[in-house]
Amino acid sequence: MHPAFSVIFFTVVSGAGYALISLLCLFNFLNFGMLIDKNTFFIIAITSAVLFTMGLISSTFHLANPKNAWRAFMRFKTSWLAREGLLAILFYPILALYLYFIYIDMQINNFMLMQYYSFLIFTISTVIIYCTGMIYACLKTIPQWNTIWTPINYITIGFALAALIFFFILNLNGYDTTSYENYILSMIAFSLATKLTYYFVIRLPKYNIADATNAAVKLKSTNVRLLDVGHTGGTFLTDEFGYKVAERKLFRIKILSIFSGFIIPFFLIYTYSFIYENIALCSLAIFLSFIGMISERWLFFAQAKHVVNLYHGVENV
Amino acid sequence: MATKQDKISFKKNATTSNSFEMPQFEDRDKQTQKHTTCYMCACRCGIKVTLENNKIRYIEGTPSHPVNKGVLCAKGNAGIMKQISPARLRQPLMRKPGSERGTSEFVPISWEDALDMLTERLQKIRETDPKKLAFFTGRDQMQALTGLWAQQFGTINWAAHGGFCSVNMASAGLYTTGFSFWEFGDPDWDKTKYFLLWGVAEDHASNPIKIGIGKLKERGAKFVSINPVRTGYQAVADEWVPIIPGTDAMLALSMVHVLLKNELFDWEFLVRYTNAHYLVVDTPRKKGDGLFYRNEDDIPQSWDLEKKCLVNAVDPKIKPALLGKYTAPDGTPLKTVFSIMIARYMDDEYSPEEASKICGVPAEQIEKIALEMAHVAFKETIEVDTEWTDWTGKKHDKFIGRPVSMHAMRGISAHSNGFQACRAIHFLQVLLGSVDCPGGHLAKPPYPKHIVPPIKPGKKVVPGQPLESFPLGFPTEPEDLCIDKDGNPLRIDKAYSWEAPIANHGLMHMAITNAVAGDPYEIDTMIFFMANMAWNSSMNTSKIREDLCAKNEDGEYKIPFLVVCDAFDSETVGYADLVIPDTTYLERYDTISILDRPISEPHAVCDSIRSPILKPDRDVRPWQTVLVELASRLKFPEFTTEDGGRKYKDYKDFIVNYEKAPGIGFLAGWRGKDGEKSLRGEPNQNQWEKYIENKSFFEYKLDDNLKYFRGVNKDYLEFAKKSGFVGSTKPIIIELYSEKLQKFKLAGQGLYDGPQPTKERDQFRLSRFFDPIPEHYIPLEHRCSFSSKFPFYAITQRPMFMYHSWDSQNAWLRQLQAHNYMHMNKKKGEELGIKDLSWVWVESNTGKIKVQVKLMEGCQTNTLWTWNAIGKQKGKWGLSDDANESTKGFLLNHLINEHLPCADTGSPVTNSDPITGQAAWYDLKVNIYPAGDDEQFGVYPNFEAGQKVFGQPESKNVLRYNTKKPVRLSRSLKDIITKGGFEK
Amino acid sequence: MRLGLVVDLDKCVGCNACAIACKQWNTSGTSGSLTDYNPYGADPSGVFFNRIRHYETGNYPENKTVHFPMSCMHCEEAACVTVCPTGASYKREEDGIVLVDPEKCMGCNYCAWACPYGARELDREEGVMKKCTLCVDRIYDEKLPKSERKPACVMTCPTSARYFGDFDDPNSEVSRVSSDRGGQDLFAELGYKPVNKYLSPRDKVQVNQHEIREPNLVTKVKDWVNKVVEL
Repeated sequence: MHPAFSVIFFTVVSGAGYALISLLCLFNFLNFGMLIDKNTFFIIAITSAVLFTMGLISSTFHLANPKNAWRAFMRFKTSWLAREGLLAILFYPILALYLYFIYIDMQINNFMLMQYYSFLIFTISTVIIYCTGMIYACLKTIPQWNTIWTPINYITIGFALAALIFFFILNLNGYDTTSYENYILSMIAFSLATKLTYYFVIRLPKYNIADATNAAVKLKSTNVRLLDVGHTGGTFLTDEFGYKVAERKLFRIKILSIFSGFIIPFFLIYTYSFIYENIALCSLAIFLSFIGMISERWLFFAQAKHVVNLYHGVENV
Repeated sequence: MATKQDKISFKKNATTSNSFEMPQFEDRDKQTQKHTTCYMCACRCGIKVTLENNKIRYIEGTPSHPVNKGVLCAKGNAGIMKQISPARLRQPLMRKPGSERGTSEFVPISWEDALDMLTERLQKIRETDPKKLAFFTGRDQMQALTGLWAQQFGTINWAAHGGFCSVNMASAGLYTTGFSFWEFGDPDWDKTKYFLLWGVAEDHASNPIKIGIGKLKERGAKFVSINPVRTGYQAVADEWVPIIPGTDAMLALSMVHVLLKNELFDWEFLVRYTNAHYLVVDTPRKKGDGLFYRNEDDIPQSWDLEKKCLVNAVDPKIKPALLGKYTAPDGTPLKTVFSIMIARYMDDEYSPEEASKICGVPAEQIEKIALEMAHVAFKETIEVDTEWTDWTGKKHDKFIGRPVSMHAMRGISAHSNGFQACRAIHFLQVLLGSVDCPGGHLAKPPYPKHIVPPIKPGKKVVPGQPLESFPLGFPTEPEDLCIDKDGNPLRIDKAYSWEAPIANHGLMHMAITNAVAGDPYEIDTMIFFMANMAWNSSMNTSKIREDLCAKNEDGEYKIPFLVVCDAFDSETVGYADLVIPDTTYLERYDTISILDRPISEPHAVCDSIRSPILKPDRDVRPWQTVLVELASRLKFPEFTTEDGGRKYKDYKDFIVNYEKAPGIGFLAGWRGKDGEKSLRGEPNQNQWEKYIENKSFFEYKLDDNLKYFRGVNKDYLEFAKKSGFVGSTKPIIIELYSEKLQKFKLAGQGLYDGPQPTKERDQFRLSRFFDPIPEHYIPLEHRCSFSSKFPFYAITQRPMFMYHSWDSQNAWLRQLQAHNYMHMNKKKGEELGIKDLSWVWVESNTGKIKVQVKLMEGCQTNTLWTWNAIGKQKGKWGLSDDANESTKGFLLNHLINEHLPCADTGSPVTNSDPITGQAAWYDLKVNIYPAGDDEQFGVYPNFEAGQKVFGQPESKNVLRYNTKKPVRLSRSLKDIITKGGFEK
Repeated sequence: MRLGLVVDLDKCVGCNACAIACKQWNTSGTSGSLTDYNPYGADPSGVFFNRIRHYETGNYPENKTVHFPMSCMHCEEAACVTVCPTGASYKREEDGIVLVDPEKCMGCNYCAWACPYGARELDREEGVMKKCTLCVDRIYDEKLPKSERKPACVMTCPTSARYFGDFDDPNSEVSRVSSDRGGQDLFAELGYKPVNKYLSPRDKVQVNQHEIREPNLVTKVKDWVNKVVEL
């Protein structure tokens, strides 16, 4: 699949944004030993809103006919993209009201209401990330995406990034985050685990050229190969789906993404409290993780092989 | 997008109850429909063109048209893009004074000036030495007009392109059964049960072959395809026979061997309809050997089994012997033709085991196919109940059909042994009794014709006078050759000389080379019409391009004046001194005449016209009109009245009023004063209108008793004579044995009472290759000593969606194939370490090219092939300089030499069939090896970019063709929001 | 109604007539124009609804070549319809034709991701997805003679390898030919239930061989006897 940068940026940034507000509200809901002051709360909330808004705007860049973008949630009944779009739009007023309630200290008189509301925000924003992942996972035509591990990874990776940002902002505002480190580290570790599980699950090709051209061959095991694709230039299909990357390059980027996205940030946080309490290291962790997740998402697209490639001479996908 | 929606409600299918409304997608009131004839190739299907806002909305097949019956191939469907191609020439052009030929530097010239210039020059040539005009035509289908024009001018140096196309196929049939394949004859698609396709990738019977194959498949008829490559039609064959190129005669004759060995031939057919029983003089190394034994009245003889004596072979009441050796009363030893055949073909040389070594087809398969054909012919015979009378007067109550049919084309033809190979295929047909019978190989009127039509090629050139005969003809003996008293060729292409005696279609591929070499003489003016000689239609392209610009010591071009007529900016246009721009096929009147290359069906005499669908948007004129204009100006006798005035106003007038013979004109339909006569009749001044009224074609269906066995069908022969197809009602007896060829053979052996070749080389060729019965011989190029260095055969195929060099200027078709690959057998490629899609060198004795290779299964092990004519010169055909056609596309032509590379003695000889002069394109032998790591990209050789000629528009980057604003079908918002998933 | 096509791979000779007829009809029809990029330059490409691909099976010399026309299958459970967020992609209830409403399409390409058959192409000049409409602008046109109310590809196919009709009608040509020859769903395991059916290449036609002459009766020419045949 041709990795469109706007889509990569969209999913990573909006995933981080929704996960961040989700994490914040979960934190609020669970009422960890320490409460956050309103300023910090709003900084985190606004950061998350900026992130997911940037993401949403970026997602419109890959549209060929953006003037119809306003119709994008009409088919929420069947389309994950429409569902994501609808929830994303509805999220704004819901979140705005919540933030207003925080601002006016609603929890003082309506503690249970705010508890439920926090949980609602947590749920909706997590579901939005799930929908984003399902946009890809529901497609049987791209075997590498067609697994529950796709939306799971969108969520865990979003949370890993969000956790780093959360950690950073708390530290920036002077909180002692030592007791949270384990949770942050487990979220990063967990996301790496889900990522590696995903790579394991998709390791084998699912379809071959004989499956795709079954009508032409009586026995599926007969040696089938493309003789002529029927055009000497490219087509929309080859432009969109024919993206080929050398296996070596894919492998190198995979290593880069794992180290930059998960392992190095893990160690930076791990050593944070007892080696070096430096906020700059924390921002480095976020930066590296972001690079790593962008690469991972790029890989997600680049290594995806649409079954239509079977008709274009690729032997299996 | 607001659109006017004139909603039309309609009645729905009964299975649902609610009706719904559709917008009016097509505004029929704004559209007009016209019928004409396609010309994207030479199939000439009938098309219906819908116009809207003065543009072409849609082109489709005419349902009632006899050729295509409503279907249309990819080329026909792409006519719009041909019509709007930026490669169309826009006005007459003259080479800029002071510029070099070949640089495409032109200045515009008015039609008047162009015609004046041409008339003046041609007049001078005509008055001094008419043969200094060499006029050759390419992809055209109007030889009756151009040939007449050349004859009237008085030059013998005219031919169409058949010499480098398929003259072997045409001539072999004409010299054997009186008709051949393609426009001469067709398989009986409706009734045949077994069909062999020999050497056909795509052919001008484009849609009829497809329609026919569709019918075969429906009926469960067996389809065997004999072709080194499995693409196209071959894909749907039941059996694919990957034969070694140039060995088809061996395969055919080996099957003849099997049939003879098992006595599986149609004895009655041979006796009644062929010359198998004729007696041949058997006096080896003496004069007269191998000729028919004739009595004092010059009639061939046969041995009557009852009377036990010699009788006239052409008498209707004889009972001739098919076999045996006999002695004439004067003691001459004789044997029957059939005995000669048996002695030759039942020899082990033609056994399947031996044949297999040569043609690469397993012996069991050769035998199997022969026995399958025999079974179908003799055990699955069909009958059509109709009363008919044969030439002896005997009445029959049915036609017996041996339902085995065949079709053969360039894969057989384009070899230096193609004439004999094609004859061999006809032999198979004849032995099986499947000639012009139900289910077999059917002739198409005006064929069959007598063997051969009594036209001798013109040779007497007299200044200011027409030729005594048509420039092309059918030689039957050495006396007919166009040679001077010393045996030197009279024609510039050396057709009808000892080099190519039976060159029925000329040798257009030699014209430039010979003119530049001054061999046999120099010419003054060369006119090319619709022929791309400076590119894909020549062998050895680079050399030809140099030849066209070659100069004498005095600085004059060796070809002093070159006129090119074409509709598009081809590579050859760049070399012209005068460019005559033609219209497209949708912009002119034209005739597809029985006098030319007919479009008849087996059981209907047909012809058709073109009429202008659109007016040209540029200053172009149809070539036919220009020819009639020049003919009038030059005062050709046929074009001039008795008092010296102009006889024909224009082309339309000429077509209506010209009569080749009383009542016979170019168009056979609606003749007679009121258009009430068919085939023959006085000119009808409203003939064009009648055709246009009738969808631009004329179809005359034959009565049932005239449909089969026409060469020996009394009623048909009378009908054919009346219609002007044949000159006599004598039967057309199939010539298994060609006495005509034998005469040439004797001349080669020095045993002929008449002209004989003096050069050793010619003596050898005539005595070796002019076998009166077909044989397989190794192609000429393969005999050369270097041949073993080049172990691969290299051939081209025609794609179904392109026609020669046309269609790279077509925006839709070139998306399918903008560059070509050299295809190779996968296993062989891997053996040689050649990777798929890598760059390789392909080398012949003449040159080498660098191309990209593609490996495939369906390719004979030692054969390489590519698509024909895809490669183009940079900048031509309206294409940009970086178009694939010039950066990755290539021609095989650079590897081919127009002279045989190993001519043993004397002057070079043409790389063609020694009998007909057919260009031997597919004799090419090459070697293939990987290119170096630093040589990976880009074809070799490269040619300098050709400038766009004056007046050509720049081509656009984005094309959005339509004839109107589209009428959209909308989905309501309510539907969008309320509809769920696919609930059941 | 369940309208669709049957493509007969036993007869398809790969001539591309259907592909070009489709292009020609649709560029001036309801989906028009169908853009061409670099039409006279390097690597020309353009919007086509129907493409012919060519495959080989088996090994030389028992290999077979199959020509494979592919266009929208108008699936019963079309994923391209399910995933479309704006509702531009839809399947008509009346006749099952899957269409794109260009006025609603936002050009996100999602439907193309969902289509395994490559049936949809983006027309970059308009920014909308385009695809086979089963010639909806021909099949209901009462101003066309009844025999011509068929998709352009079906009308033009020279070998009659394409059929059009209603699969819900057991007597229609498509139903009959599909049941006679075992019409196949292409890539059925993906579960989209394509309505278009493909007919596989038939088994090779078998023909008997004529008996050969008994070996002990063969072959010397001297043994042959002339038959008396009157001309």
